[in-house]
Amino acid sequence: MEFFDQILGLFSDFANPKKRVFAGYLGISFVIAFIWLILFRKSSIRLALKRIFDPKVFFSGSAFADYKIFIINRVFTGFISPLLLTQVAIATAVYMALVRSDILPWGGMQDVSKPVVIGLFSVAMFVVDDFTKYLMHRWMHKWPILWPIHKVHHAAETMTPITVYRVHPLEGVLYASRSAIAQGSVISLFYYLFGDKVDLYTVVGVNVLVFIFHVTGSNLRHSHIDIRYPKWIEHIFISPAQHQIHHSVAEEHYDKNFGAALAVWDWLFGSLHVSEGEEDLQFGLTEAEGHSATDLKTMYFAPLKEIYGVCARTCLKVRASVGGLANRFAPSRAREELTEQRKQET
Amino acid sequence: MKRSFKLGTTVLAAGMVSSMAFAETYGPYPITEKSYSGDKTNSVSYSGQVARNVLVDSLKSLAGKGDGGGNAAELKAQMMAYFAGSEEDLPIISHTDKDGFDIKQSTINEISSGKNVKGKTYKGLVPGWPGNMTGPEVLEDMISRAAMSNGGFDADTGMDWGQLIQKFALGAMGFNQAVDNYLDEKMTADNKPNNKPYKEGASYTGKEHSWDEAFGYFGAAAHSMSLQPDQAYNITKKKDAAAADANGDGVIDLKTEMVFGNAYYAAGADRSGKTDYLPTITGAFIEGRKLITSADGAALTEAQLAQLQSYASVIEEEWTKVLAEATFKYAGSVYKDIAKMRADDSDDDAEAYRAYVKHWGELKGFSLAIQTGRENLGGTAVRLNRLIGFGPVTMDESIVTGVDADGKFVKDAKMSWNAYQLNMLKVQDLLIKEFGVEARANDATADLASLVKQLDTDSGGAETD
Repeated sequence: MEFFDQILGLFSDFANPKKRVFAGYLGISFVIAFIWLILFRKSSIRLALKRIFDPKVFFSGSAFADYKIFIINRVFTGFISPLLLTQVAIATAVYMALVRSDILPWGGMQDVSKPVVIGLFSVAMFVVDDFTKYLMHRWMHKWPILWPIHKVHHAAETMTPITVYRVHPLEGVLYASRSAIAQGSVISLFYYLFGDKVDLYTVVGVNVLVFIFHVTGSNLRHSHIDIRYPKWIEHIFISPAQHQIHHSVAEEHYDKNFGAALAVWDWLFGSLHVSEGEEDLQFGLTEAEGHSATDLKTMYFAPLKEIYGVCARTCLKVRASVGGLANRFAPSRAREELTEQRKQET
Repeated sequence: MKRSFKLGTTVLAAGMVSSMAFAETYGPYPITEKSYSGDKTNSVSYSGQVARNVLVDSLKSLAGKGDGGGNAAELKAQMMAYFAGSEEDLPIISHTDKDGFDIKQSTINEISSGKNVKGKTYKGLVPGWPGNMTGPEVLEDMISRAAMSNGGFDADTGMDWGQLIQKFALGAMGFNQAVDNYLDEKMTADNKPNNKPYKEGASYTGKEHSWDEAFGYFGAAAHSMSLQPDQAYNITKKKDAAAADANGDGVIDLKTEMVFGNAYYAAGADRSGKTDYLPTITGAFIEGRKLITSADGAALTEAQLAQLQSYASVIEEEWTKVLAEATFKYAGSVYKDIAKMRADDSDDDAEAYRAYVKHWGELKGFSLAIQTGRENLGGTAVRLNRLIGFGPVTMDESIVTGVDADGKFVKDAKMSWNAYQLNMLKVQDLLIKEFGVEARANDATADLASLVKQLDTDSGGAETD
């Protein structure tokens, strides 16, 4: 019985409205995709269904790798999450740092009415969370030491809502820490300023803004249904098509659209790419990246090897430059150079 | 304070295992003093300290007997008898029978005669109390004000005299005498040596009795090693006669079976499940006493003295933390009381304010108590005193800032409830940082922690875009 419970536990995310793959959100995503294909792509009902449940997507080798990683990572997370700093610890530490610093007036905004506090807090949680996701994601692409980890996600050649779990465990650790730090800081800052009025506006227990993100088809980001928004909206919110561009192998799409829900960060920092009706994008990595969409061993261990390589190369470079400097300033070397120079002159 | 602490803990840890296994009691221990010729068989003696603990607790009870000035002179005289000593045999006021909890002694002299509190109170200056006074002067000042008060409570200044007197005395008398006298200079080679009686004709050696005295001030029951924190706690509260009555004679002997102030607060912290102050301190006392007994009336060797001092270090370190835990707890109470008073629109404001003043008295008393140890707390003491102040924020947000030439409290400053609540947070933060408190009762950041848990936001985990 216990074993059975544990197996069920692996799939608990599908019953948890805090998770993107909650069954309800998946159902809504299906409806959105269906309506999109019928209304905007003038598809027949039969073709629309065939397109949405394309077996070439859901039964591809890449998708099967996603499913396996989903299970393996669930087990891994069970072991690792008790070791991570909790949100409570971070919130308390930040709170006490504020108490010690005297920069802001403690309880200084207690006169603000409760609905306003809850509104501000709900927005702040969402925006800070989204912005730190953007930053983290950008670093995952730009920093040579992080890219090998994030490659696992980008190696997917077909995308399904489960691809959101196609992550190297180290990336899981980084994301969980990011979230704990971002949310823990916002909670403590608000509690410091507003006291116990702090609360969230929620629907089914989820921040209402996160809920809106999910019921407007967050699951379609990792899919082949390229829903686009009008250009001006794509400057504010990332459309599924924009995220699919992010996964494209085409060179002009490299390092674009890092955002999660909001596009404003990409717009601000110059990484925005609005959708232009691109069709049949090819997802995945170029061969030069030397990664695999399907081989689990490569996915779990290649990043470690690559990171080691990056570190080793950096060490060599540092040593070489330090060595070069040392040589240049070494007295004996300087003397030799001088002697050589004189010889040539004479 | 760090007198070979590591050695002490290691030795103690080893010793604790054995004492836990047999739930040893503190005494009886055989007579080792060679010059003794009487018929006693037990060398343990700390009834003088028990008497003093009872005197302090009785003072607390008396502090609440004022009628607003009418009986001031009479009450002050009565309190001074308990404080400074009396020719008469004084009745025990604090520890009286309570249904099913029968106490063996009913007068002070039945425990020990000729004892007082004043002579054993910290002689140094108490900077946390207005008026530039020494320890005994502070207690006398508090006694005078208590005698003038109505029921030991002064709403205008926010003082609860019974709490202030008792909690300060736990440090100024008990803690100070134990760690700064008996466990300190009296544990050196030449002071009260083990090859001489404590005083002429005594049945115990110099070291034996010095050690016993320190244990007496700590206030643990002799059988504390066999008590759960809840039991020790309920003995003080007179709620668990079965746990108290170690010899099963149907009455509670204050000399050996009662749990007094300092030990009670050790047990109180231990109830959190995060600390072991009571068994650690009692265990160290037992191991130290056994070591002295094992010398069989000979002078202690250097190695024995060093080991004894390491036990003394453990006691001092842990006891200091007990006082810090209590200060922490009441800073949290005051924090919560203010929150309650500010949120509450109901009519029981007076009741809430009374509880707040009581908790502040305990906070202030303990914060002063912790400053009476062997160590000068330096900047930590200054910060504690400034954050807590000479008085709490009162109903009109004014606070006591000092005393005038006639010794009357001056209240010429104001502080907001908000600012004072923040001070309580800072007090708790300081205590964590400086003393490493672990039990952390009434942690004012607990509300934040429960808010975080209640919000239960998704941590994302292994999901990425």
